Amino acid sequence: MDAILQIDGLRVEYGGPRPKVAVAGLNLSVRAGEVFGFLGPNGAGKTTTMNVLLGFVNATGGSARLFGVDVRQPIARQRIGYLPELTYYYKFLTAEELLYFYARIFKIPRSERQSRIDAVLKLVELDHARNRQIKTYSKGMQQRVGLAQALINNPDLLILDEPTSGLDPIGRMKVREIILRLKHEGKTVFFSSHELGEVETVCDRVAILHNGELKAEGRVDDLTREHQASLEQVFLKIIGYQPAPAA
Amino acid sequence: MPAPGYILVLLLTVIFTLATWLQPLAVAWTKGRAQSNNLLAVTLGDARRLFANHFFIKADVYFHSGYYPSIFDQGRTNQLHIAEQAGQGPGAHQGKTPEEEEKEEDFLGPPRDWIDKFGRNFYLTEHTHLSGGHEDEMLPWLKIAAELDPQKVEVYTVASYWLRGKLNRPDAARDFLREGLRANPNSYEILLELGRVYAENYHDPDRARNLWQLAERKLKAHERATGEVDIINERQILLYRAQLEEAQGNYQAAADAIERLCLVLPGTHAVEREELEKRRAELLQKANSSPATPAKP
Amino acid sequence: MNNIFAIGSITIKELYRRKDFYVLFVLSALITLMAGSAHFFHDDKIVRYLKELCLLLIWIAALVIAITTAARQLPAEREQRTIFPLLAKPVSRAQVLLGKFLGCWLAVGLALVMFYAFLGVVSASREHAWPLEYYIQALWLQWMMLAVVIALALLGSIVFAAPSSNGTICLVTVVGILLLGGHLHEVALERPEPMQSFLSTLYFLIPHLEWFDVRDLVVHESGLVAWWAVGAASVYAMVYAGFLLFAAWVLFRRKALN
Repeated sequence: MDAILQIDGLRVEYGGPRPKVAVAGLNLSVRAGEVFGFLGPNGAGKTTTMNVLLGFVNATGGSARLFGVDVRQPIARQRIGYLPELTYYYKFLTAEELLYFYARIFKIPRSERQSRIDAVLKLVELDHARNRQIKTYSKGMQQRVGLAQALINNPDLLILDEPTSGLDPIGRMKVREIILRLKHEGKTVFFSSHELGEVETVCDRVAILHNGELKAEGRVDDLTREHQASLEQVFLKIIGYQPAPAA
Repeated sequence: MPAPGYILVLLLTVIFTLATWLQPLAVAWTKGRAQSNNLLAVTLGDARRLFANHFFIKADVYFHSGYYPSIFDQGRTNQLHIAEQAGQGPGAHQGKTPEEEEKEEDFLGPPRDWIDKFGRNFYLTEHTHLSGGHEDEMLPWLKIAAELDPQKVEVYTVASYWLRGKLNRPDAARDFLREGLRANPNSYEILLELGRVYAENYHDPDRARNLWQLAERKLKAHERATGEVDIINERQILLYRAQLEEAQGNYQAAADAIERLCLVLPGTHAVEREELEKRRAELLQKANSSPATPAKP
Repeated sequence: MNNIFAIGSITIKELYRRKDFYVLFVLSALITLMAGSAHFFHDDKIVRYLKELCLLLIWIAALVIAITTAARQLPAEREQRTIFPLLAKPVSRAQVLLGKFLGCWLAVGLALVMFYAFLGVVSASREHAWPLEYYIQALWLQWMMLAVVIALALLGSIVFAAPSSNGTICLVTVVGILLLGGHLHEVALERPEPMQSFLSTLYFLIPHLEWFDVRDLVVHESGLVAWWAVGAASVYAMVYAGFLLFAAWVLFRRKALN
């Protein structure tokens, strides 16, 4: 099966006379139809890697491709949806206007736009607030708008950065349901998360990053079987965390 | 009443008491300083004179329909052409017509480069004057200049010239000059111009005469007080007076006016003095040959 | 082009949903109406001073709207993190920049139409005439000038850290060019070297925004600018705006946004 996300020798350094290495020679591939968890402690390089995939940051070395297209080309993002960790959208727009704007960017035909907007608003349960300006929304509602805009183009690859961050248990459950539904539809999901319990439930494969380097990659079952431990314990072991001895 | 209420009442009482004590002191501080109930005068302070001058120049800009030298342009005169047209200022009587002088002072010259050449498509490059009743477009700026600096006498005289002349509104000219006179009671320039309104527009020689007599007295008082001699205005007062008296048949009074003028002309005006002497002689001859009429002093 | 127009439409929506434009319009209208209520020497036909005042207010308001709107576009997108979901779409940075430019320019053009309509109504109430061709020409030229100003502000928003400093620098630069730009060569010729060469070079390099200020022609109705000159000036403005936008793109395309 061809990889729809392919990262080869990715290196990202931040400037200055002694540059800081954020990502050091990352090799990764994500195949179509799988749910891929991208794990690592804070500062591991997860968000930097995502920023490169989305074109926010230029790589110092190596390459990254989406659907075979270099990530530096805007067309590489035609078939993806992205949900950032911190969701901020144009506060002066209503949810409907925002989705219409993004639908236009994706060149969704005019005849289909309204039906698509109606469908995603219904999915994220924001139908009742579609004509209110986003500045009047609660945090949870803004998160749902984020999910709606990530799904507006019916993406083949969904990139989610900490999708359940800041959500209550019901919100987290809804996000899990959406991920599983997308998986069932044959979509690919690539997301980073600190909620390892959730990752263990939904992910097919995971990669663990630490200090900009890939420390482990593989199926969740294989990793937990190999280390005879839960995913959380595997994670802590791989990053070299030693818990303090009990008093 | 709760405690904060008592404190509030106490503070209000203290404030009121202080105010009644300080107010007489404040009045004493401002004694001798010019008071104004004009908002612009209070807010702008002495800067209002700068603004008044700016708006006076603005009126001249309007006279030229926007064709006007900037501070960078060479050959800019200090004399405003609306004032020259009004027959005032040093440029008014140099033997050339104002039009001839303005042609000499055309400030643009040939374009310096292609940018300058192309840029001339976007602003006025033709020297024109307001005419055909449009001279009233200058009036707002003159009015504002007078509001900002009531002591700027030439604003009143220039406005009057245009109001009573080209715009045929002597009443407005008279009222504006009187407004100027209230702000400048010793201004002989305003009295001179007011005299012209009565002489040329209302055809009231008696009143014009009175005004020019008063103007002459004010001018002399000014000369005694400051030591400055204003030949231009004195010349105008005496010449107009002479013209008036001659038109009224008071040849002796006309001759006296010419004689007083000859006395004040400086030595460099020998040619003019000679001509005036001739004219005086003619007037005296007429005075001697005509029946005796009581000459008004 | 679809993306550029889509981004532009968002910028226009933002302008008319913010209060800045309405405040400036109402303020300008109030000042003009107050000035218009004055009758100098009981003459209610005098109109040029009113036109001049109104045009001055239009110029000030348009410059403020153009510079403040353009100066905050990209910094606000970064600060509010709205640029991330936008660039995660199949949109290039060039399209974002052009979209912002187009949005600001069209928005300011709409504002100008409203301002000039007000001017037309106010002056027609006095002079009972509609010198439409003057207003159209003045509006068009001012709009063209604002294209350069907006492009300059967008470039500044990438170069300078804060929108406030960018806005101030842009405003000072634009006002400086409007007041002094046409006279720089004259001043240069009076100076010794090397100042003469420096000022002359500056004179030929700066965009000559003063060409687009035809307020005097409108106020005094002294004759329209030749339409070929209007066309040439428009092309000049577009070339300059294009150059500034190109410079902005060169800086923006490599800028890390995290």
